Amino acid sequence: MAKYANSALIIAGHGSTLNPDSSAPTWELAETIRERGVFGEVHCAFWKEEPSFRQALHCVDRSDVYVVPNFISEGYFTQTVIPREFGIEGPVTQVGGHSVKYCAPVGSHERMTPLLLKRAKDVAPGVPTQETSLFIVGHGTGLNDNSAVAAKREVARIRELGVYGEVIAAYMEEEPLVAQWDQLSTCPNVVVVPFFIADGLHSYEDIPVLLGIAAESPGAVSANAGTVFARNPYQLRGRTLYYANSIGTEPGFADVILDQVAAFDAAQT
Amino acid sequence: MRDTTAALVDWLGQGGRRIGQLAISPDPAGWELRHVDDAGRTDLQLHAHWQDARALANLDDAGAYRALKTAPNLRHGWRLVVASVEHLRRALDYFYPAMLGMRLAEQAGAMTATCLRETLGRQTGMYRVTQKLTDAQAQELILQTCNHCACLKTMRWQIADDVPITSLPVEKFVAAQDAEHWPLLCAEGCNLLVAGARKVVKGAAE
Repeated sequence: MAKYANSALIIAGHGSTLNPDSSAPTWELAETIRERGVFGEVHCAFWKEEPSFRQALHCVDRSDVYVVPNFISEGYFTQTVIPREFGIEGPVTQVGGHSVKYCAPVGSHERMTPLLLKRAKDVAPGVPTQETSLFIVGHGTGLNDNSAVAAKREVARIRELGVYGEVIAAYMEEEPLVAQWDQLSTCPNVVVVPFFIADGLHSYEDIPVLLGIAAESPGAVSANAGTVFARNPYQLRGRTLYYANSIGTEPGFADVILDQVAAFDAAQT
Repeated sequence: MRDTTAALVDWLGQGGRRIGQLAISPDPAGWELRHVDDAGRTDLQLHAHWQDARALANLDDAGAYRALKTAPNLRHGWRLVVASVEHLRRALDYFYPAMLGMRLAEQAGAMTATCLRETLGRQTGMYRVTQKLTDAQAQELILQTCNHCACLKTMRWQIADDVPITSLPVEKFVAAQDAEHWPLLCAEGCNLLVAGARKVVKGAAE
C-alpha cells in the first residue's frame, strides 16, 4: 500500500447542520486510515459541513487524489451531487491541478453483507435467526432510481445464505415502507438494521418513529439519541423487535474504503 | 507539491498567532491553542491530544452544535497543547475546516470565487427552487447569514458578476493583511446560505 504515499484520499460524506454524529464516522475513518500511514494525506469533505465538496481540493497538497464516497447508495449523491460539486466528469478528471480519481461508494462493497450480518447478530445475541425477520432499512428517494438498489442487493445476498427466517428491504420514503414492518414480516422476532452511514436524525428519530418505538421529538435534535438503542428489545404489535445502530459505525469500514481505492486502480489497469 | 505544514511553519515564524477566534502561542510542549478571549486565564481545562480539537470545535458554550465552524461562537474554558506543527495543522483543520487550504489556494492564484447565481444555478433536487431567489431577497439573506456576528469569513464572491453585495459593510470583503492573522476566506455561498435561500423562496410562495 506504500504506493499511495504520494496520493491523497478524500472521504466524502453527507454531514449535518443539526448534529455532530452525522459526520463523526467519516472523521473517525479518516483518523483510522491516517494512522495506518497508507496515504500521504487524508481528508474529509461534506455536503452539509465544511470542508465542503467545493472546498475539498483546496485542502489537498498532493496532485493525485482518490475520492471515496462514504455513502451507502450509488444514487443521487454519488451520481449527481458529488461529481457536480467536485467537477468530476469520469473515473479520472483533471480539476485545478489535481488528478481526481472517483471511486465507488462504500455501500456497494461486498463486505457490506458480513458487516450487516454482524450488526444484526450483535443487536440480538442468542435470538434464533430462523425465527427472525431481518429488515435492512434504506432511505429511498424519488430523486434517483438507484437509491434503493444497495439495500435490495444486500437483502438478496443475505437471503441466499438462508440464515434468517425472512430478509426484507424497507425504506423511509419508498415502498415497501418501514412503517408497515409488522405487515411485511411474519417471524416472532424482528431485527431492524438501518443501512445508513451515520447515526443521526434518520436512525435516532425518523425510523424509530416509523417503527413505533419512539415518539417524535419537538426540537431539531432528537431526544432519542443514545436511548433508542439502549431500550432493546421492544415488545410491540405482538413481536419482539431489536433496533440496531446504523451500519456505517462499524470499524470495518476503513478496510472497505481502502478496498474501494484498490478496486478503482484494478479497474483502470 | 504544495506543503501546507511548511506554509504554517513559515507563518508561525513570521509571527502568525491568530486564526478566527483562536490564539496560538509557543508552549514548552509544542504549540498551545485557546480561545482568544481566554488570554491570561489560568483555570483552563488542558487537552493534550490534537484529536480533541474536533470535540472542542463541535459545541458552543451552551452545548449547542456548531454547524458553521467560522461562526463567532467558539467555546471557552479550554486550552489545547499539540506537540508539532503537523498536529497543529490537523487541529486547525477541525477548528476551521478548509481555511488553511483556502488561503494557500488564494495565494497561489488557484481560488476562484463563484457568484451566488452560479451556486444556485447548479443546484438540483430540493434546492433547485433556490434559483427563484430575487436579488433583493439575496441581499437580505446574505445580510442575515453572512454578517460578521454570524460568520467570521471574508467574502470573495458577489450575487452575480454585475450585482455586488450591498447589504454588508465593505469590511466584510477585506481580509486582515497583518502577519499575525490567518484570514478566513469564503469563495462561494455555503450550504447554510443555499438552505436559507430555499426557506426564503418557499416562504415567499406560501
